[in-house]
Amino acid sequence: MSSDSHDVRRAPAPYMNPYLAGIGLGLVLLGSFVVMGRGLGASGAFSSACAVAIDAVAPAHAQGNPFWRDYLTSGVGHPLKEFLVFEVLGVLVGGFLSGLLAGRVRRTVEKGPRISIGGRFAWAFVGGALMGIGAKLARGCTSGQALTGGALLSAGGWAFMMMVFAGGYGAAWMMRRQWL
Amino acid sequence: MNAPFFKFGLFGDEASLIVAFVIGIGFGFFLERAGFGSAKKLTDQFYFRDMAVFRVMFTAIVTAMLGLFYLAAVGWVDLSLVYIQPTYLWPQIVGGLLLGIGFIVGGYCPGTSLVALATGKLDALVFVAGVFAGIFAIGEVWPSITGFTESSNLGRLTLPEVLHLPMGLVVFLVVLMAVGGFWGAGVLERRFAASAAKEEK
Amino acid sequence: MSLLRLDRLSRNQKLALLAVALGLGALVLGGPRPGKIVLDERELAAIVEGEVDHVTPDELADWIVAGRQDYRLIDLRTAAEFAEYHIPQAENVAITALVDSDLARNEKIVLYSAEGIHSAQAWFLLKAKEFPAVYILLGGLKQWTEQVVFPEAPGESAGPVERIAFAKAAERAKFFGGASRAAAVAGPSTASAAPGGVGASGASAPTLPKVVPPPAPAPGGAAAKKKKEGC
Repeated sequence: MSSDSHDVRRAPAPYMNPYLAGIGLGLVLLGSFVVMGRGLGASGAFSSACAVAIDAVAPAHAQGNPFWRDYLTSGVGHPLKEFLVFEVLGVLVGGFLSGLLAGRVRRTVEKGPRISIGGRFAWAFVGGALMGIGAKLARGCTSGQALTGGALLSAGGWAFMMMVFAGGYGAAWMMRRQWL
Repeated sequence: MNAPFFKFGLFGDEASLIVAFVIGIGFGFFLERAGFGSAKKLTDQFYFRDMAVFRVMFTAIVTAMLGLFYLAAVGWVDLSLVYIQPTYLWPQIVGGLLLGIGFIVGGYCPGTSLVALATGKLDALVFVAGVFAGIFAIGEVWPSITGFTESSNLGRLTLPEVLHLPMGLVVFLVVLMAVGGFWGAGVLERRFAASAAKEEK
Repeated sequence: MSLLRLDRLSRNQKLALLAVALGLGALVLGGPRPGKIVLDERELAAIVEGEVDHVTPDELADWIVAGRQDYRLIDLRTAAEFAEYHIPQAENVAITALVDSDLARNEKIVLYSAEGIHSAQAWFLLKAKEFPAVYILLGGLKQWTEQVVFPEAPGESAGPVERIAFAKAAERAKFFGGASRAAAVAGPSTASAAPGGVGASGASAPTLPKVVPPPAPAPGGAAAKKKKEGC
């Protein structure tokens, strides 16, 4: 199934009951509402990092584009000292922690049996690019718009969420060779 | 009422970054617990083999929604100070569609790709690179497409406002929809002979 | 039905029941804010008596000169009156519009009207909606004009402290486009309720200065600081 198993230390633990995991996630989201008055997110951190990278290479160009400039002028003194950037760092740590506890940290490539690793990488890149574009248009991704917007009963969030499922199911047949 | 605490000045901007980090840890932890660090588990949703994505997402939404409603109802949280993104209807519809396609093509979404990256998935690394590429591309052309990207800005708009229903009723309907959906998800899974038994302890 | 196999699904079913029960509770409650307004009369009375809800024109003038941006100044008069003159940094909101305005509970709000009656009533309105930081400009626009824009010189018998305070006030008055005026002579009281008039004795009533763009630092800095809260 996966390509590299030389560092399996023990069999991975089964996943948590999805309802319990969902309650946990929901409580984290609720905590964010109560403490910060805002919800979760992910794509914004990518944008901040991208803006900073462009600014480092071509500052005049970055400052001249209002999209990048917006990210460059956010944050507590520095565009990377921003809520989402720190939250995303936390996601990396939390994900790693959970994986470590469950014996699920392993260098591997997730893919179906009928596609090569190279093919998987190609689709991963394309999929990521589509995600990046879609997330910017929608002002958020599943974490921000669907989860947060959904819990807050935001009309745009719910519309977005339904379209995500529509898109995923709609394109599933075309991508079956990658996964099934 | 003095919550949301940050908005009432309980702590400052610098401290809020620490809070963000802690919140992120919780977020990433539960995403991985649910198995969302695995593209195969995530995409199984779209083949009706494993409805965990639907279950986790809607349970989280219902939990946070109910929690916030009750805290606001007893006056402990000022709901008007909780930030709701403005609704840009058409960009969000198109963006959602692209995101859904990107999900099944790439195997992750931005949040889950980070969890997958943290647990060693190389394809997640490539996916993240793709996200940067996509953001770069759209950022560069953004000024010339603002006609679309800024269109249909309906401002802060909630379902109760759209449906002209009291919020409590909408909350109740969402709960019913979710519970009904969970039951239906189970039916679909069994029909598509899913390996659903794996995820329940 | 396989769904009712309690050994596998009872916990999930219990969770589902809990969710539906909470949902029903939400349905019954109707909205996140209780419909009725609950007032603690004693607490409000104590606030009024302690006069902790006042801001003097002196204090407000110093805030404006210092360029403080951490409060919102609300002018409750008509649009016409507002256009003729308003305190720099003020926003014009009618009492009826107060309820639907974008005033938030985590903001410091200073209310003023012509003399203070409307601002007191608006104060009560906002306090009833649980706004914790609402203040009234003591004496309203009338006292603002007399104390800040056209401060009155102290009399002959005034001590050095009063004279120094007056000197500061005179300087500050220029900032607001006003000027100091001579001490009032004994006789017709300057505090008589001449409508709108400032009533300096001996000289013709000075008119309020024309509204100029706020001399305080441009609000661009504050607007730019609005945090991104998106994702």
